[in-house]
Amino acid sequence: MKFKAFLTEHGVNLLERRFLPALDKMGKICHLFLTRDHAIFLHNLLNGDGVQCIAQFRKEALFDDYRISSQNEDRIAFAIDVSLLLRAVRSSVSICTEFGNGPSANRLQIKLVKKLPLNCTQPMPFLTFETKGYKSAVIQDVPISKPLSRAQVLELQTALELAQDIPRTLVQVPDSNQLQNFVERMKQVGDLLNVSISKYGDLHVQISTTLITLGAEFRKLLVIGEQAEAPSDDRNQSAQTRSERAISRGDAQRVQVSVKHFSRSLHCHLAKPDCTFYGIAPHGSCLTVIFQFFIPGTHQTDKSISLHCRLPVLDPGSS
Amino acid sequence: MSSSAVEAEAPDLVCQLDSVQGMVDALSAVRWKRHQDAVVELSEHGVVLIVEDTGCLQAKVYLQRELFVRYEYHAEGRPRFGVSLGLFVDCLNSFSAPGRSSMIEIQYPGPDMQLLIKSVDSLDACIYAEIRTRIPDTISWDYNFEPAGSTPLTFTVKLFQTPLLSSIKKMILHGWNVHFCFKILLGSSIQINLQPDPPCITFKGEGHGDLQIDFTYYVNTDLVIAFHCDCQVSYRYKYKFLRATTSNLPSSVIKDNRGSKLTIGRGGMLKVQHLVSVARSATSHPHIDSAGHQQPSRIAYIEFFVKSEVDE
Repeated sequence: MKFKAFLTEHGVNLLERRFLPALDKMGKICHLFLTRDHAIFLHNLLNGDGVQCIAQFRKEALFDDYRISSQNEDRIAFAIDVSLLLRAVRSSVSICTEFGNGPSANRLQIKLVKKLPLNCTQPMPFLTFETKGYKSAVIQDVPISKPLSRAQVLELQTALELAQDIPRTLVQVPDSNQLQNFVERMKQVGDLLNVSISKYGDLHVQISTTLITLGAEFRKLLVIGEQAEAPSDDRNQSAQTRSERAISRGDAQRVQVSVKHFSRSLHCHLAKPDCTFYGIAPHGSCLTVIFQFFIPGTHQTDKSISLHCRLPVLDPGSS
Repeated sequence: MSSSAVEAEAPDLVCQLDSVQGMVDALSAVRWKRHQDAVVELSEHGVVLIVEDTGCLQAKVYLQRELFVRYEYHAEGRPRFGVSLGLFVDCLNSFSAPGRSSMIEIQYPGPDMQLLIKSVDSLDACIYAEIRTRIPDTISWDYNFEPAGSTPLTFTVKLFQTPLLSSIKKMILHGWNVHFCFKILLGSSIQINLQPDPPCITFKGEGHGDLQIDFTYYVNTDLVIAFHCDCQVSYRYKYKFLRATTSNLPSSVIKDNRGSKLTIGRGGMLKVQHLVSVARSATSHPHIDSAGHQQPSRIAYIEFFVKSEVDE
């Protein structure tokens, strides 16, 4: 089992400034799944009922000189502490910028190693960062779990494939800051969030307890997938009536998720996506948030990067 | 439905406000516990919110109708309802977004006697809330605040927090264990003593040891803005109630640094008055006149009444 690659400057920027800070908010530990073509960061896919978060990079988006081999079709997966990973990348970057001398001088190599740590009798696996500065080289070892077994990798692969179902209707939220702000404040009022999404382009989030109902409705959002014309007589209705009617017509779906999960998924904006879409997976199995990234300077989707979250549904709701 | 029928069913109050943050600030000032029940009283003059604690402390927030952009009052008499202050504040807070003006509409009652709030400044994004109200179970005791003598005994201090907070700090400096110190203070009382000659305010704390701080009017003119007292008075107040009158003022209000006025009335009833700006949090303050004062219409008045402890 071997893995060795050089992080490109773009790759370092993506990880250090955008993706690792976002993933760090999703949970302390994630799986890093490396294949011949992709590096994938996975949260909560195998265990737990938290927010599933999947960040997938084509190898060219992060690395050059990417070499991987294993007896399991060149697939390697292990668990890693995101905050430690972020710290290692950060300090490597600071060494590069301090001593760097042209792009070729400060190449950042990462590789999988087994080492015998102090006071241990058994060698332990590490992801090692090697930075060659002008006069010095710095090596950082980030501890990782034992690589996943063949069965576990298969399980991870299956979970990953299952997590690819795309909701039939997706709405684009234009101002995620506004939504985040609102949800942060909403957290004070209750724990359970009703989210309904309609084919008309309405996103309606609501907390309802015995003492209070607090909600926000965003209308006329861009719809991708199945859409429908909003009935004209809905215009003067309240947000709640509109949602109820849309659901009864079969034009909307509603699920209940944890406010904490919802707010956590909004932290993915640290990865600076260009667009954010919300949708409810078929049969109301989860609330899916898809982040889209453009090739810098264009409005074309950067297919080498993908990020999406799946929020567990607490109550199947009406679908 | 004819238009007259609609009119007959008009809610008691529909009002609009362009500064949610100001209202959140004003209401937060009287929020000394996580869960507090408040009574709201509506009238043609504005909205009054009243909070009480164990019959010894009462706070009132006056939101005059001039604070509102629109104020439509249709009720006979003065409708009152009970509401959870914490929920009300947290809920209002959801309507305020930094860097955005947020116009809201408040209506009472809704079809199920709820308090209804909704944002009205954007067509395609709308925030709304319905808060359950209840019938206020106790008639709040009326404080009949009367001056103790012919002239009121008052003093106005900047940052009223200073005397009390510094008292605590000094106690800690004197080697008191912090937790011990708070424990004693929370269960203990502070004596406030006013004397006319030389004009002086004295705070005296008693625990397992005592501490006295004097603010002489002439020496502390930066702190004590005004002082009126024609006879010596001395009353004791529960520390936790005194703390409640000042410790929840939002930092923005303290930065504004208006004076807080304290008056001691008959029977030692202490009245603490704060002014909280409910102006729009725009970059400029269009309501500040040439003298640098904000127009009274953009100020919420907050009053606390603290009963003095009766000597046994």
